[in-house]
Amino acid sequence: MTGGPDLRVRLGALELAHPVINASGTYDVLAVAGEHGLGAVPFSCYVPKTVTPEPRPGNPPPRITETPSGIINAIGLENPGIEAFIADLPRLAGLPVPVVISVGGARPADYLTVVGRMEERLADAGAGPLPPIPGYELNVSCPNVAAGGLSIGADPEALYELVSAARPLTARLLIAKLTPNVTDIVAPARAAAEAGADAVSLVNTFKALVLDPASLRPFLGNRTGGLCGPAIRPIALRMVAEVAMSVDLPLIGMGGVTSGLEALEMIACGATAVAVGAATLADPRAPQRILEELRAELAARRLAGLDDVRGKALRDS
Amino acid sequence: MSATRDRPDGCGPVGADVVSRPVVESRTFGEWTLVSIDAPTVASVARPGQFVMLAVPGAVFALRRPLSIHRVRGDRIALLIERRGAGTRRLADMAAGAQVELSGPLGNGFDIGSSGSALLVAGGVGVAPLQFLADELRARRIPSWTFVGLRGETHLPLLAALDLPAQTVATEDGALGIHGTVVDALEASPASAAAVEKGAVVYGCGPLPMLFALRDWASVHGLTGYGSLEAHMACGTGACHGCVVATTRGYLRVCADGPVLPLEIIGEAIVTAGGAR
Repeated sequence: MTGGPDLRVRLGALELAHPVINASGTYDVLAVAGEHGLGAVPFSCYVPKTVTPEPRPGNPPPRITETPSGIINAIGLENPGIEAFIADLPRLAGLPVPVVISVGGARPADYLTVVGRMEERLADAGAGPLPPIPGYELNVSCPNVAAGGLSIGADPEALYELVSAARPLTARLLIAKLTPNVTDIVAPARAAAEAGADAVSLVNTFKALVLDPASLRPFLGNRTGGLCGPAIRPIALRMVAEVAMSVDLPLIGMGGVTSGLEALEMIACGATAVAVGAATLADPRAPQRILEELRAELAARRLAGLDDVRGKALRDS
Repeated sequence: MSATRDRPDGCGPVGADVVSRPVVESRTFGEWTLVSIDAPTVASVARPGQFVMLAVPGAVFALRRPLSIHRVRGDRIALLIERRGAGTRRLADMAAGAQVELSGPLGNGFDIGSSGSALLVAGGVGVAPLQFLADELRARRIPSWTFVGLRGETHLPLLAALDLPAQTVATEDGALGIHGTVVDALEASPASAAAVEKGAVVYGCGPLPMLFALRDWASVHGLTGYGSLEAHMACGTGACHGCVVATTRGYLRVCADGPVLPLEIIGEAIVTAGGAR
């Protein structure tokens, strides 16, 4: 074999060139394509910001701030709605990687509306070029919206219902993005698997609170927000491991990964792919660096590919 | 010079790449430090009102800090850093010779094309981008008046970092100049009356309450202008929608839609179908 370790991974029917993808809402390929065009995307798969049926203005500011080894945010699923999203999709047509649509809503029917509308557009070959769209990530875990979001993801029965209803609408990959704001992360993962999900991604952010030190009032316009970044990584790692031991589905692990070694740890805990979010916000070069470090980690350990390490932390020896 | 540095295809800002550049000079004025960085590429294309994102040196994990370009001299850019928290303290502590990782110039600058005369209004460290603007206006021989509002006695050292035309100072504690806010000073000063007379374009930068007051003052006096906003930012390039500000056009991103916005659109809250929020 030439060119070092084999980094290809498979999420159901979707083969990716390497395991590093972006966490939804932390990277906008069009916003950063300025200097180098679409070809320079550092991820093997692009997950745009969550889209809902209707436009959402998002939460009042302030929406984001730094915390010790982390970031708290409450964007509130700001997005232009599915119709404007679809109208804008041809701009991604030159993207060299597949696009997984992140789907959100205030109620289960919203998710079905978005998936149904995307399927219509994808079936309409005459409507112009699109990037390859191999699937959907159901964002049932946003902590910053009043309705929907994590209220679905934290309730295994509601999640089962939603995934079951979405399943017949598409033959494409269906990923359930789980919330860590639960006592038992395995229950919703199992519900998603039983309802026909092809993969689960975890974790979304941890519901959290920061105060304005001067006023001693909540700093964020939404009062609470979602915590991400290195501060949550050991908890995310534990949750990925728990799901990997209990559910036979490919996992997208995420939560505070900032280095190739940390990506490898996610994989050792059972993840197939690793999503990067906070690290990209802190340093736009992070995704590329993480990938290079991951390659170097495998080479240094004389491993031919990721299959040799996946789940290593879960075994007895 | 083009009005916007976005690519014609609408794909994002130029300047998002990270480069490592040396600090060449650092001078402290009370709570503020003027840091000069050798950054020829940024210096050659930057326009007043644009900003750079600076990585916090030595931090284990930190968001980059957005800082307005305060001045451009040859190959150097100068940044006026206020010590607010751990990140800005580390940045202000950078000595000559230190390497700093930065991206820029980012955002949209001030529109100076149509200015017959200009009224510059700063609140505290909001004066940072207005120095660069004043330098540009001076080079174009556009008559300008400057108002600088400071909290009080402890903020006076900031003035030594500045070189502004026709400067009026206001302090909230009355330590220097007009006793009151910078907008109180606009009401009281003959210099602002002259600016109103000439139909000057207003350029403001400072905290939101100051910009609201300036917006209302400009409106009453029939002046139009621009406000440069500050916000907690994460990506700096428009991706994360973390730094938005309420406007009459909905939430706009300070980093990518701003930081300079028409003064009259800056709002206390957006209005949606459900009412103000």
